[in-house]
Amino acid sequence: MISSIFWIAQATIEELEERIALDSAILAETFYFWTVVVMWLIHVGFMAYEGGASRRKNLMSTAMKNILTIAVVTPTFYYFGWYIYGCFQEGWPKNGHASPAAAEGFCGASAPWSSAMGPNLQDHITGVFFLAFLLFSWTTGSIMSGAVIERIRLSAYLILTAILGSVVWIMDAAWGWSSGGWLPRQFGFHDAIASGVVHGVAGVFAFGVLLNLGPRIGKYTADGLARTFRPHNTHLTLMGLMLIFTGFYGFYAACLVIQSTVFPGWLNIYLSPTTLGAIAWVITIGFAGGFTGGWFASKGDPFWTLSGGLAGVISVSAGADVYHPSLAYLLSITGGMVAVWSGTYIEKRLRVDDAVGAVAVHGVAGFYGVLLVGIFAGGYPTGINNVESSLGGQLVGIMAFLPLAFLPGYVVSWILKRMNLLRVPPEVELEGLDMAEFQQDFYPEFERVPEIVIEPDGREVDGAPVLLESYWQTSADGRPARAGVGVGEERS
Amino acid sequence: MFDAFPYDEWSEDVAEFWTFGGGGSTGTWIMTILGFAVMLVAFWGFVILENRKLTHQASRLKASGALDRPPESSTTGHEA
Repeated sequence: MISSIFWIAQATIEELEERIALDSAILAETFYFWTVVVMWLIHVGFMAYEGGASRRKNLMSTAMKNILTIAVVTPTFYYFGWYIYGCFQEGWPKNGHASPAAAEGFCGASAPWSSAMGPNLQDHITGVFFLAFLLFSWTTGSIMSGAVIERIRLSAYLILTAILGSVVWIMDAAWGWSSGGWLPRQFGFHDAIASGVVHGVAGVFAFGVLLNLGPRIGKYTADGLARTFRPHNTHLTLMGLMLIFTGFYGFYAACLVIQSTVFPGWLNIYLSPTTLGAIAWVITIGFAGGFTGGWFASKGDPFWTLSGGLAGVISVSAGADVYHPSLAYLLSITGGMVAVWSGTYIEKRLRVDDAVGAVAVHGVAGFYGVLLVGIFAGGYPTGINNVESSLGGQLVGIMAFLPLAFLPGYVVSWILKRMNLLRVPPEVELEGLDMAEFQQDFYPEFERVPEIVIEPDGREVDGAPVLLESYWQTSADGRPARAGVGVGEERS
Repeated sequence: MFDAFPYDEWSEDVAEFWTFGGGGSTGTWIMTILGFAVMLVAFWGFVILENRKLTHQASRLKASGALDRPPESSTTGHEA
């Protein structure tokens, strides 16, 4: 203690500045490290959420997707995902490794063989910043993961999630979620906490995959009416959602930039000013509004009430750095409602079997949030060029992201389908994926009971005859026919 | 300050300090290429291993006859 005081008395201004700069860098390093820790809860939550939503026979194959997301997205993101973010902010690396103009040399520094991409005594930021982005990448994979459960091959999912997490979302982040991105610099595109760049893009990518994957066997009647498969553990699903919500605080915090000796205070990803308190207000009241909207739109359905909370937050995330809490409350109520209504439309009208409503909650609410900024935060200066946000700028971003998200999901899943590598054989789907993948049931101490499905008119019927009838009418390419209406017997 | 190790001097002179060399060195390139190759092999392995499991189980289920459609009963009333 005494020696420290003596050192301060003796130190020159330059030495003190050097020490403060080091402390500031280490503080930022610590901050991002802990956001990463908190964000892990998002993945714990997604695993519990999807595992609970699956039927008992598919529990472990569902959870394994979430676990192996980490196994494939991490190396792909290290070897080329981060490189894409560093190099493609201007659309194309115009000056090679010296690109982009807004952060000169970032392209070269993001290459996996560069001096910044490993232990480096003079760089306290790159490692933790990379990790925060990596956790966002896992999140995009997890968003798709829930939509495709109970019939996709694990390996097909891993290929698709690597493309989504390490190419597609990070390309759109380079374009529209960086200080040097062409969308904020030229059009004032504003998506501060990633409504569109993470959630919207992942949801639309999943939609492209679902079109090729097809519904689960027995999901639709011959008339195209939707049946409901009962989740095997709703409590686990709800707890998973609560864990996702907790992790979202880390997600929100990681979207800001702080280093006191470099920047004047908290900044958003575009280097425009905001505060940690501002986004904390919006996320919390966003959940409140989303739960409310989800509750009323679904008439009190527990799954959609909690999903509405997620959709509510996602719909106000794009403007979370500037919204007043009251505005966030009102908008998030509409976000929760939009998710419920669009989820119902996707399931019943479009007849796309999204097992957890991911396309509605993330895709629709995500792009809805981007649009809301153009309406309610128009005129707010964004980014280092101080271009004002506008409805036109937000629409340009949406038009850029929609094909970027949809086409890779659709095309790659179409190729996998043609190679017969997208979907499990129908016999395996009928029996349950866990027996084929792991040769065991994961509730060995519990007696098996007959599977129940809920017919479109609300009757609970024995699932076996319904599923078998649909299986028998399965077409040769593995896509189940929409058949089996009325073959189930009503349960007493 | 802390003087058991020349940290100040070291951090000024040395940046990257990982095994097999610094940024852009031959060692780093080799490790990068090896890691990338193993990653690709892992993808191939995920596909092949799972395909084997699924094909085996689907064949077993088909062979068991448990999922076969039961023969339709005659409704014509003909008797031998």
